[in-house]
Amino acid sequence: MSESDEDRWGIAHIHASFNNTLMTVTDQTGAETVAKSSGGSVVKQNRDEASPYAAMQMADAIAEEVKAAGITKLHVRIRGPGGNRTKSPGPGAQAAIRALARAGIEIGRIEDVTPLPHDGTRAPKNRRF
Amino acid sequence: MRVALTGTPGTGKTTASERLPYPTLHLNDAVREHDLWTEEDTDRDSLVVDVDALAAWVDDHVEAGETVVLESHLAHLLDADRVVVLRCRPDVLESRLRERGESDAKAAENSESEALDVVLSESVQRHGEERVYEIDTTERTPEDVAAEIEAVVDGDREPSAGTVDFTDYLHP
Ligand SMILES: Nc1ncnc2c1ncn2[C@@H]1O[C@H](COP(=O)(O)OP(=O)(O)O)[C@@H](O)[C@H]1O
Ligand SMILES: [Mg+2]
Repeated sequence: MSESDEDRWGIAHIHASFNNTLMTVTDQTGAETVAKSSGGSVVKQNRDEASPYAAMQMADAIAEEVKAAGITKLHVRIRGPGGNRTKSPGPGAQAAIRALARAGIEIGRIEDVTPLPHDGTRAPKNRRF
Repeated sequence: MRVALTGTPGTGKTTASERLPYPTLHLNDAVREHDLWTEEDTDRDSLVVDVDALAAWVDDHVEAGETVVLESHLAHLLDADRVVVLRCRPDVLESRLRERGESDAKAAENSESEALDVVLSESVQRHGEERVYEIDTTERTPEDVAAEIEAVVDGDREPSAGTVDFTDYLHP
């Protein structure tokens, strides 16, 4: 891999809590933050901060900042199942990834690194990706 | 009535359940004692629960028509009429777990899981918002928390979810 290929990758960190979605893009080492956003910064109502709509708005804005920094490819690390106030699954993280792809970002590895509650026992992993 | 008493480890489930007047099944103990698990997660020193086996065990130990409390951070994975989710501010949770003798890694992962509302999100997804009752234990005594759980059982409290926001405690 040439040096210019290395420079064009970044990592998108998506934190999807019940009430909110946070997105941070770092360089490949994770040390330098290139862009960040939260649901609260793109929608007016608290109850929409974790919505797929908010995730799409954040991803659109972040995609522009990321491309301006010379990054065109992102690996994605997702933490949290996200808010879904109905029984149907559909975390904000999925909407964010689709929006990043539509904005011309190449998506690399997608990993679910949600922290697991554990206390001598734990639930089976419930990976969507 | 089956009442699931769930929440991230350290939120105070076991402590509160000791002050409740209902028969209580401590599911973590049952998983270990009756081999209701599929594999070991050695990194986390935890047994991975066999949800179907646990559900069958619970069915064998619940009397029809009685109110029983299912106590564990796994309780919301099972059928229940009401799901109580205990919450605790992540920094307070982390110190409660350390004081209880847990490792730094275990305290940190559970604390981050609490900041991300993992147990709450899973509970709402499985049971629906109308059956979930969130209780913040951060600055309440175990007696207060137990009284609130009794109010849920008695139908004296409305369901709620997402009433606390711990995203400030994330390190994105
Ligand atoms: N309401 C509370 N206020 C302060 N400390 C509490 C409360 N409930 C429990 N604790 C303490 O926090 C720790 C975790 O409680 P525990 O009942 O073991 O949690 P869980 O069963 O949810 O893992 C224990 O050391 C306990 O004494
Ligand atoms: Mg306990």
